[in-house]
Amino acid sequence: MASAKEIKNHIGSVKSTQKITNAMYLISSTKMRRARESLAQTQPYFDALRTEIARAFEHSDSKKSHYVAGHRKESDTDAYGYLVLTADRGLAGAYNQNVIKETLHLMAQHENNKLFVVGDYGRQYFLSHRIPFEKSFLYTAQSPSIPRAREMGALLLDLYDRGEIQRVYVVYTEVGSGMNLDVRADCLLPIQPETFAQDSPEENRLRFEPSADVVLAHAVPNYVTGYLYSAVVESFCAEQNARAAAMDSANQNAQELLETLKVAYNHERQGAITQEITEVSAGARAKKQHGKDRCSHEK
Amino acid sequence: MNCFHLKILAAERVFFDGACRSLVVPTLDGLYGIQAQHENVVIAVVPGTLSLRSAEGEEIVAAVSGGVLKMENNEALLLVDTAERPEEIDLSRAERDAAEAKEALLQKRSAQESHLAEERMARALNRIKTKKYKR
Repeated sequence: MASAKEIKNHIGSVKSTQKITNAMYLISSTKMRRARESLAQTQPYFDALRTEIARAFEHSDSKKSHYVAGHRKESDTDAYGYLVLTADRGLAGAYNQNVIKETLHLMAQHENNKLFVVGDYGRQYFLSHRIPFEKSFLYTAQSPSIPRAREMGALLLDLYDRGEIQRVYVVYTEVGSGMNLDVRADCLLPIQPETFAQDSPEENRLRFEPSADVVLAHAVPNYVTGYLYSAVVESFCAEQNARAAAMDSANQNAQELLETLKVAYNHERQGAITQEITEVSAGARAKKQHGKDRCSHEK
Repeated sequence: MNCFHLKILAAERVFFDGACRSLVVPTLDGLYGIQAQHENVVIAVVPGTLSLRSAEGEEIVAAVSGGVLKMENNEALLLVDTAERPEEIDLSRAERDAAEAKEALLQKRSAQESHLAEERMARALNRIKTKKYKR
């Protein structure tokens, strides 16, 4: 059994750790709320853009655009690009691991893969496992912003336009219903027309100026930017969510640990007191006995 | 005067939502004006200066990036990456941006990087132009 002083030290260290995890919990829940708000503000833009692209598809000879699936024949040697959204730091439960697991799973199904990594955690992981990646975007996971998303989108679109990659997947985490975190892998390019399924059949004939294809060519980069932005924000929310949950359970564990330690400490302290009393009283009794003995000797 | 409903959605916020008398947007073939009862049309918008006259007669100017404008059943919907009013534009920042982009262009880096720099320069110049817009 550890001594009372050791237990006391242990309690102190658990308490200070608990302070840190509690602070991290508060920080991540605030950040999550802010990210949610900014996502809510982009949502109308993004939804409207999706609808308009769907309309443009209907009017244009969509097979002609190289942004649309079915434009070219797929082959096994196609290069697939994966944009993997991870966090910059750990301590977020299984958040990072789940994303990486999904990416590795996808990559195992295809030969020619190119990785694009967002977040320091993913970068470190792929570096240490000697998995080559094309590019890593640092400092994007922490503060999602439109210019950053535009930069990423421009890079991916450029590679796609030049035919260096034939498909672009985005692997990110979504906050599902009931605060569940789901890893999703969506095919961003070429655009799958099925995902733009229209539910409003009443259609006006629209004239496109100068042509539907030009409008599409203008809308697609915006769509990619918007998509990436919402994916990054969604992942950021999920990360903060995962971290808040992880820190919350760390808090609870610390609380439990503190309670057991407190009981152990009290037990130890009481034991020490009892022992001291026994020793003192035993000593006093011994002395008394000794004095009596002496008296009887002198008589 | 006849009005139509106009909604301008930028990526980060709703820029304008209300009744409007006329709208002028920059397009590939120059400025394109829209008034009430315009035919149904979808137009590609390029970076430039947009101007509109609201139902109260107030003129609103904004620097916009590329996007799409849809006019349908007397309702206009403009989707752009960014939309900024002149008073929101920081002139010195825009000028610095333009200078930096110019430097990046001169360094003759990869095609992709110079493409990004070109776009950045276009945005910065557009902001400067909108800021100095004379009514």
